Amino acid sequence: MTDGFHLLQTAVDSLPAYRDFPVIGSRAAIWIAAEIHLMFAAFVLGVPIFAVVAEAIGIFGKDQRYDRLAKEFTRLLLIAYSATAIWGAVFVFLLSTLYPAFWAYMTAIFGVSMWVYVSIFFFESFTLYLYYYGWDRWKYGRAKKVHWGLGILLNIWGTTVMFIADSWLTYMMTPPRDITPTTAPTSIKLWHAILNHTWMPINIHRLIGNVVFGGAIVGAYASYRFLAAKTDEERAHYDWMGYVGNFIAISALIVLPFAGYWLGREIYQYDQSMGITMMGGFMSWLWVIQAFLIAVLFLTGNYYLWIGMGRIPGAERFRPYTKWLLIVLLLGAIVWGTPHTMIADSRELAAMGGSHHPFLGVLGVMSAKNTAVNLMILATFLSFLLYRRANIRTVVAWAPTGTRIQGAMFALAAAVVLFYGIRGYFVEAIVRIGYSVYQVGAVLACILFVTIIDVLMARGAQSLGAIQWGKMPARSQYALFILAVTFTWLMGLMGFARSGIRQHWHVWQVLQDTTQYAATPALGYAAIMISTCVLIFLSLVGFIFWLGGLAEKSTFVEGAPRVGH
Amino acid sequence: MWATNLRIIGVVLGTLALYTLIANKIPQMQSDVPRALTLGANVTPEQLVAAGDELYHGAGGCTACHGLGTRAPNLLTDEKGQGPIGARCGKREPGKNCKAYLYESLTQPRAFVVAGYEPIMPEMSRTLSPQQIWALIAFLESQGGTVDVSTSDIPAQTAAAASSSAPAAGGSHGIAGGSTDPMAIFRGAGCVVCHKIGSEGAAIGPDLTHVGARLSAALIRESILTPDAKIAKGFEKFAGIMPKTFGDQLTASQLESLVRFLAAHR
Repeated sequence: MTDGFHLLQTAVDSLPAYRDFPVIGSRAAIWIAAEIHLMFAAFVLGVPIFAVVAEAIGIFGKDQRYDRLAKEFTRLLLIAYSATAIWGAVFVFLLSTLYPAFWAYMTAIFGVSMWVYVSIFFFESFTLYLYYYGWDRWKYGRAKKVHWGLGILLNIWGTTVMFIADSWLTYMMTPPRDITPTTAPTSIKLWHAILNHTWMPINIHRLIGNVVFGGAIVGAYASYRFLAAKTDEERAHYDWMGYVGNFIAISALIVLPFAGYWLGREIYQYDQSMGITMMGGFMSWLWVIQAFLIAVLFLTGNYYLWIGMGRIPGAERFRPYTKWLLIVLLLGAIVWGTPHTMIADSRELAAMGGSHHPFLGVLGVMSAKNTAVNLMILATFLSFLLYRRANIRTVVAWAPTGTRIQGAMFALAAAVVLFYGIRGYFVEAIVRIGYSVYQVGAVLACILFVTIIDVLMARGAQSLGAIQWGKMPARSQYALFILAVTFTWLMGLMGFARSGIRQHWHVWQVLQDTTQYAATPALGYAAIMISTCVLIFLSLVGFIFWLGGLAEKSTFVEGAPRVGH
Repeated sequence: MWATNLRIIGVVLGTLALYTLIANKIPQMQSDVPRALTLGANVTPEQLVAAGDELYHGAGGCTACHGLGTRAPNLLTDEKGQGPIGARCGKREPGKNCKAYLYESLTQPRAFVVAGYEPIMPEMSRTLSPQQIWALIAFLESQGGTVDVSTSDIPAQTAAAASSSAPAAGGSHGIAGGSTDPMAIFRGAGCVVCHKIGSEGAAIGPDLTHVGARLSAALIRESILTPDAKIAKGFEKFAGIMPKTFGDQLTASQLESLVRFLAAHR
C-alpha cells in the first residue's frame, strides 16, 4: 500500500509544469477558451438582470408587452446557457492539462470555492428551467409573483457564481501582500485569498458591464429579426426590442466608467508599478484604442437615437439640436483619444521636442480627458431626453419653468465639469484625482434630477402621435450591429488589459509564468486574438439564435407600443 | 434575405478588420520577461553595465517613469546642473555613497524620496534577482559616474537581501549568507539544481512540491542530513549524487527552517 502510494506520488511529482497545445500554442488556446466562455457568461448573467426588470414592469405596470419581452429575453438566455457551460468545460480542461502546476496551485487555495461554484451553477440551471418553462403556467395573480421571485433567485445564483469566479482571477492579479513565493498554497486561508484588493471593484465593474453587453447583444438579435421580419407587426416589435436593448446598453455604459475608476484606483493603491504599467507603461497605447472604441459607441448610440426620431411625430422640433450634440461628441472623442504619456524612443522624443507633445500633451492629461468624457455623457443623456420628449406636449402649468430648471441643471453640471477640468491643471496630482469625483457627482446629479422633473412634467402630456415602430431605415439596424461588435471587442480589449498587467506572472509576484509564452504580447497580436474570439463568439451566437428561431415562433406583440420606453 | 445576411457579415467583418488594423498600426510594445542573469566570477564592469542597460530599457520597466513625464527623475540626463544619475547619486542622501544610495533606491525606495516626487517606486527586489539589481546599479553608475560594482558585491548582496541590510553593512557567512529564509537556503544550497519546487528548479531528483504529503518532517530532516539513508522509488540510479555535507554547512536554525518549509508543502 505504501509502495503504491509512493508510486502514485512519484507519478504526480513527475508531472510537467506545462504542456503545449498543437499549432497555436497553449497561451492562444487558453485565451480563446477563456474569452469565449466569458463572453457567453457575461450575456447569461446580464440578460436576467433586465429580464426580471422587464417582467416587473409587466406585472406592476400591467403592461403585457414587457412580460412578453422578458420572456423573449429569457428564451435567448436558455439557448446561450449551454454554450456557456460547454466553453467553461473547455476552459477548465485546457487549463488543467496545459498548466497543471498552476492549476494545482489554484485548487490548493480555492478548491472548496470551486465545489460551491459548481453546486450553485447546478441550482442556477434548474432555476432557469423553472423560470422559462413555468412562464405560461404561472401567469396570473400570486403565482406570477412567485414566478418573478424565481427570476430574482436566478439573478442571485448568477451573481454569486460570478463573485466566486472573480475571486480566482483577482487573486491572480492582486494576491494579499503577506503571500510570497515561499508561502505554501495549502496554508493560505480561503477567505483571505478571496478578500483581495480588486475583488469587489471587479465584481461591480463586471455586474454593470454584463448589463451593457447583454443589452448590446439583445439589440443585435432584435435588429437581425427586424431585417428578417415578414410583417409590419413583427418589424414593429423588433424595432421596439432593439430600442430597449440599445437603451439598456447605453444607460449602463454611462455608469461603467465610474466603476472603472474605482478599479483603477484600487490597482494603483495595491501596487503603483502595476498601475503605471497599465496606464503609462507598455500598455499606454491600449487606452488610445479604448478611447476610439468608446467614441464609436457614443457616436453610434446617438446616431441610432437621432435616426429613431424620424419615426416620432413631433421630433422635428428637436432635430436642429443634433448637430450641436454631434460637435460636442466629436470634440470629446478627439480629446479623450489624445495620447499623453507614451513610451517613445529618443528620436521620437526629439521630434516631439520633449517627453510630451507641446500641444497635444495639454489635452492628453486626465483633467482634459475627464472633462471630455463627462461632457460626452451629458450630450448622450440630452439625446435620450429629446427622444423621450419628441412626441409629447406637456400640459402641466409649470412645464416652462420645469424646462428652464432642466436647462439650468445641464448648464450647472457642464460648468462644474469645466471648472474642475481647468482647475485641475493648477493643482497637484493628488488633489486633481479628487476633482473627478466632483465632476462625476455633478453629471450623475444632473441625470437624476432632470429625469425626475421630466417624469413629473410628462404627466397627462398630449401625444403628438404614436411612435411609428417599425418605420426605421435599415441603416439604423446596422448601427446596432456595430454597437454589438464594438462592445464585444471592447470587452476583449479590457480583458487583455486586466490580465496583461500581471505580465509574466501567473499570480503577481508570487507564481511566475515560465513558459515560452510568458512575455505579454503587443497590442497587434492581442487585437488579432480579440477579433478571432469575437468572430467565433458572434458566429456561435448567430447560429444559436437561428436555431432558437427554428424551434419557436417569435413572441412579437401585435400593435405598436405607445409613447415610450 | 441572403443579401441582408451578407451585408450583416460585411458590417461585422469590416468593423473587426478596422479595429485590428488600427491596433496593428500603432507602435508595438511587448512586455518581456527579465532574462535570468548568471554572472561568472570574472564578470567585467562593462558586462555588468551592458546587462543593466538592457534591463533599464527593457524588461526592468524603468523607462515607464524615469525619462518620461514628471513621475520620476530622469536618470540619464542632467538635473538642476548636477549631471545624470551617476554624477549626482553620491550627493543625494547624506552619509551614503553612490552604490549604497542606488541599492537603497532599488530595494527600499521609500526610505528616501527625492523632494518634489511621490513615493511610487516599487521595490525592485520583488521582481528582479540580486544579480539583476547589481547590473542596474552598475549601469546607473556609468551614467556620468564611476562603476565600482564588483563580483564581491553580488554574493554579499544575496545575504543583504535576506536580512534587509545595506550593502556596506558587512559580509556574509555560510549558505545564503546565514539567512533563515527557506527559499534563499533552497536556492543558495543549490537544491534547485536537481529538485523542483513549485515552478522553480529542475526535475532531476524527486519533485519536492508536495514532499510534505509523503514524508514526515523527521524523514525530510534525515534526507537532508544523510541523503542515501532512504532513496525515493524510481531514483535509485541517482543514489550517492546528493551532497552529504549539509549537516556541516547549514546552521541549526537554517536546517529547521528548511525542514518546516518542505513539510508544509503538501
